[in-house]
Amino acid sequence: MHKEQIQLERLLDLLVLEASVNLSQQEREELNRLLDLFPEYTSDYFHKTTALAQVGFYLEDDFNNETLPEHIRKKTLYRHKKELGQSTVTDYLDHFMRTLFYRPQFAWALTVLMTIGLSFSMIEFKNYESNFRYLPLKKIVMEKTADDLIQYPWHSRTNDLGPINGDIVWSDQQQKGFIKIAGLPMNDPNENQYQIWIVDPLKHGQPVDGGIFDVNRTDKAIIIPINPKLPISKAVGFAITLEQPGGVVVSSEPLLLTAPKERPQETFPKV
Amino acid sequence: MSQCLGNITAVKKEHFVPMSSENTDSILQLIAKGEESAFNLLIEKYGNLVWSIGRKFLYKESDVEDAVQEVFIAIWKAAEKFDHTKASEVTFISMIARRRFIDYLRKVSKHRNLQSIDRDNGQELFKESILNQSTDLQLIKDAIGTLEIEDQELLKLSIYQGYSHSEISKLLNIPLGTVKTRIRRNLIKLKGLFDIKQRATVIELNNA
Repeated sequence: MHKEQIQLERLLDLLVLEASVNLSQQEREELNRLLDLFPEYTSDYFHKTTALAQVGFYLEDDFNNETLPEHIRKKTLYRHKKELGQSTVTDYLDHFMRTLFYRPQFAWALTVLMTIGLSFSMIEFKNYESNFRYLPLKKIVMEKTADDLIQYPWHSRTNDLGPINGDIVWSDQQQKGFIKIAGLPMNDPNENQYQIWIVDPLKHGQPVDGGIFDVNRTDKAIIIPINPKLPISKAVGFAITLEQPGGVVVSSEPLLLTAPKERPQETFPKV
Repeated sequence: MSQCLGNITAVKKEHFVPMSSENTDSILQLIAKGEESAFNLLIEKYGNLVWSIGRKFLYKESDVEDAVQEVFIAIWKAAEKFDHTKASEVTFISMIARRRFIDYLRKVSKHRNLQSIDRDNGQELFKESILNQSTDLQLIKDAIGTLEIEDQELLKLSIYQGYSHSEISKLLNIPLGTVKTRIRRNLIKLKGLFDIKQRATVIELNNA
């Protein structure tokens, strides 16, 4: 066989491949070289033939009666609108929901994410005493859900403090509460820390430690969770003192704030 | 423009009155003229064909879904290149669809298998519309009919089902060289038949 005939047959092989499957880079380079040798041929030599044959086989295929799914039709129209720069927010949401519900993997992924998120939220709320995240939200949730909620404003017990705003909310049933305060001076945690006290005369002879906290900003109110170290039977009052770092079991420091204002003095830590 | 749209709607309402390739009201020409609603007509008329081709080439349904959208956008962008004296509308669309699906196939490298697929009897009517609309489609059916049954099967696997030559070789237990030779020979034969028809169509148009 002449060299030219061999080259022509190779060219036709590559053109057939080009029309039915994609060529590798090496094959494409070879095709281009051969096309230079046979300029009467073009790279799309068999394209129309294969396209027509494709339709012909399709028409003859009695077992292929597929129809374009409606959601694909709508997606395609959306993409067309997007190409034209005409898609609206409504179109986008419609497209998003359609994508979500017609792709099971997306729906499953969303379900898993929501489950993880829900679990995380539950853990967050369950362990709210030990962390300080989302406190405003947690406070609101407790205020909305506690049946026995008590709420008192803070009152200053010393002239050394400026104006104090804020309150305390507590639920005996839930054994938790929050204080909200604005106006307390910032403290240096290395030198001292504020400590919360819960007055429960029915069960405890001494005020119960409600946890320590720091004030590191004065521009807005802070919210602190109350962490009672002992079970509370019925809280009747709350106080705040300034103690050594880490707090104390029994306070000997003066009361800074109390709530409510009218309290049986004997129930407060000794001054 | 509304006149053109009216004609196309009429074609649909009258259940597929033949629309010859020289018809100036083709959907692609309307798209090329900037008629936005023509894109809807394009999907309505050729959606099943393009979807069907995609299902043959690609294995994963999500790939077909993405690729079909790309195909229609590509057709829309290429509409102004459509020349009814060189190819019928369905041929033009099929060519673009094939190229896109082949590109996509290369990307995902997964082949659709030969298992049976969903059926919808309403599709028969759609096929008839394609057959009637373009005069060269009957020719292709006749031309394929001139090939040996075994050769038809080879071409079907290669062109219609999208199998590579080596896959066909394994599938039919035929040497790879034989597969290549027979596919090449039969494509050349089909091309010859189509080109004869094409020349006849151009002469008809010039004489009209």
